[in-house]
Amino acid sequence: MNSGQKSEGSGWVALIKPVADDEWIVAHRGSEWLGLAPDLEEDLAYSSINQDEMGHAHFYYALLEELGDPEPERTVYGRPPEQWRNARILEASNGDWAQTVALRYFYEVFDDLRLEGLSHSLWQPLQDGIRTIRREESYHLRHFATWFDMLAVGTPESRRRLVNGIDALWMNLGDLFSWGQPDTWLAAMGLDNLSEPVIKAAWERRVGDKLEAAGILWPGPVPAPLADGRRGQHTQDLQALLNVMTEVQRTDLTAQW
Amino acid sequence: MPDAGEYRVYEVFFQKDATDFHTNVGSLRAANPEMALQMARETFFRRDDAYDIWVVPQDSIFASPHDAAHLPVRGMDKRYRLPSGYDNAPHWKRFKAQAMTIEEVAEDMKTRGKGGPS
Amino acid sequence: MGEDERMTDFMARIASGQRVEANDWMPGEYRDLLIKQIHMHGVSEIMGAYPEKEWVPKAPTIRRKLALNAKVQDEIGHGQMLLRLAEDLSRPYGRGRDALMDDLLDGRVKFHNVFHLSAPTWADAGVIGFLVDGGAIITQAALLDSSYAPYARMLKRIVAEESFHMQYGESVVLALAEGRQAQRDMLQGAINRWWSPMMFFFGPRRMGKSAERMMHYKIRTKTNEELRQKFINRYVPRLQALGMSIPDPFVKQDPATGVWGFTEPDWALHTDMVRNNCGPESQSRLNLRKQAHTGQQWVREAVNEASRLLEREGA
Repeated sequence: MNSGQKSEGSGWVALIKPVADDEWIVAHRGSEWLGLAPDLEEDLAYSSINQDEMGHAHFYYALLEELGDPEPERTVYGRPPEQWRNARILEASNGDWAQTVALRYFYEVFDDLRLEGLSHSLWQPLQDGIRTIRREESYHLRHFATWFDMLAVGTPESRRRLVNGIDALWMNLGDLFSWGQPDTWLAAMGLDNLSEPVIKAAWERRVGDKLEAAGILWPGPVPAPLADGRRGQHTQDLQALLNVMTEVQRTDLTAQW
Repeated sequence: MPDAGEYRVYEVFFQKDATDFHTNVGSLRAANPEMALQMARETFFRRDDAYDIWVVPQDSIFASPHDAAHLPVRGMDKRYRLPSGYDNAPHWKRFKAQAMTIEEVAEDMKTRGKGGPS
Repeated sequence: MGEDERMTDFMARIASGQRVEANDWMPGEYRDLLIKQIHMHGVSEIMGAYPEKEWVPKAPTIRRKLALNAKVQDEIGHGQMLLRLAEDLSRPYGRGRDALMDDLLDGRVKFHNVFHLSAPTWADAGVIGFLVDGGAIITQAALLDSSYAPYARMLKRIVAEESFHMQYGESVVLALAEGRQAQRDMLQGAINRWWSPMMFFFGPRRMGKSAERMMHYKIRTKTNEELRQKFINRYVPRLQALGMSIPDPFVKQDPATGVWGFTEPDWALHTDMVRNNCGPESQSRLNLRKQAHTGQQWVREAVNEASRLLEREGA
């Protein structure tokens, strides 16, 4: 990274950390579905998707380390909830399969838009990683888009559960699009496409089309968030998640595992 | 016939790269061809690469027990059909020339502009 | 060809080491023994995912979390492949995946004793990967020359994947053995819990009728005792090298015969546990499977219905 970009170091951290945390947290909740998916083949597909996300998170945490953050193990296992930058919707306990499909579909559309924006960033290592990540993520998006269609169209029960899942999520989606601070720094890095209003509008367009095609009533625009996970404002669910996640590691912080 | 609520069985075939033919690797259950393709990837190709994947409904495949008449059998001598059934080299030697093999021709095609082995 | 002639022919093929394929004629007994063997093998892989999956959210490093996630995924993958074989064999009976899964949930097909037991610490997850998988690999490798070719082919694939599991399990156990005293103690605690169940795992010295008949048809070719001996021979020196003790004073090798002695596991207890699904975690894990399968039938129905609708639309 050249000296001109050095002053933007904290800009890169502010850009990458929420992405890393989103991927890690969504993968952690996803891994709770092991052995519990609706069929064996889906169990395999879903666990691969979650492993991909974990791998992406690891890549991002390694970039953060290059930017001066601690090593990935410390970043993942050593932070209290207020230092996490993931969206609140991702830390919530898992709902049923329909809600999970809705959540993952919403997240994958968002991540697709975010990755498209990030692919224009001027930092080569990030760009290179994004290229590979996008190949994996295109499978994720296709997978959950297919599931969304199946459940929307399938039976009255699957449709009802999907709509309930969407309703349960919608009011809490707001901070997904936030960066936790005013967007001017994004413009300075040439990443206007990632600003909250732009990405949110693009997301609402894509999801709106999907809901319309499925004959599902548009719930209205995603409301502005009351609390912002990108500013470290999290629910009790994150504390519970971190307690479980660090349970073994905390028995001896200096041990090798 | 199993319960109508079951997913259909698809046999999965994969092609390792462009110059290989598809090979069967196993089967899976899926509700439709699109899902079968998506599932095939993570059921059979978590570690291996695949250049291409086919999924075929199991009941579209016809097969017969092993001793059936349609299977090839080592019957009468058909060496006339095999390259190993010929031995031209000693004859060419009499004309002070070299025998040729198809492998040399293929190799020759890979090199540009040179005469190659005569 | 009369039934007797077919049988003679069939047994001659088996004797000469030829393989049997899915579409070949086979005696009803052969088919039923295969279904029993492969069905049990498949559901054991699936039930084996549950003790280990508990530790994925709690895995203490990024690397371990990824690896354990991949390992559990493989177990489910093996279950999927084996169930497919059992389903294909069960087609003449009109039985598919739902029927085979219901057999598990209703206690008609059994799963290995080890998966009825608790895995209370991280070291247990490691020891499952080390000893339990080690035992499974031994039994699976011994089945590679099974007369039923589809099973042999599947096992080739399974054994290849299990080699990663072996490396993973060893890696976790080695890290604990090389670690702090608390980690070494955790490891010894886990070994103390799993040793005797592993002695049961391979089955009784005097094999039951099914096992004997499977030997007759070369579905399997090694006895329970042969496999148990291989296991003890492989793992006792390694555990001792790590400075761990075997929780059984009678585990000793006869210098003359090379045969290992061991204390008989509680045959009655483990048999009861397997037969009646009354082990410490049998019901809780079966409930998870029930949740996944029966509890989510609505999902499969929806996907089937959606597929039918889309097919009609010509999509």
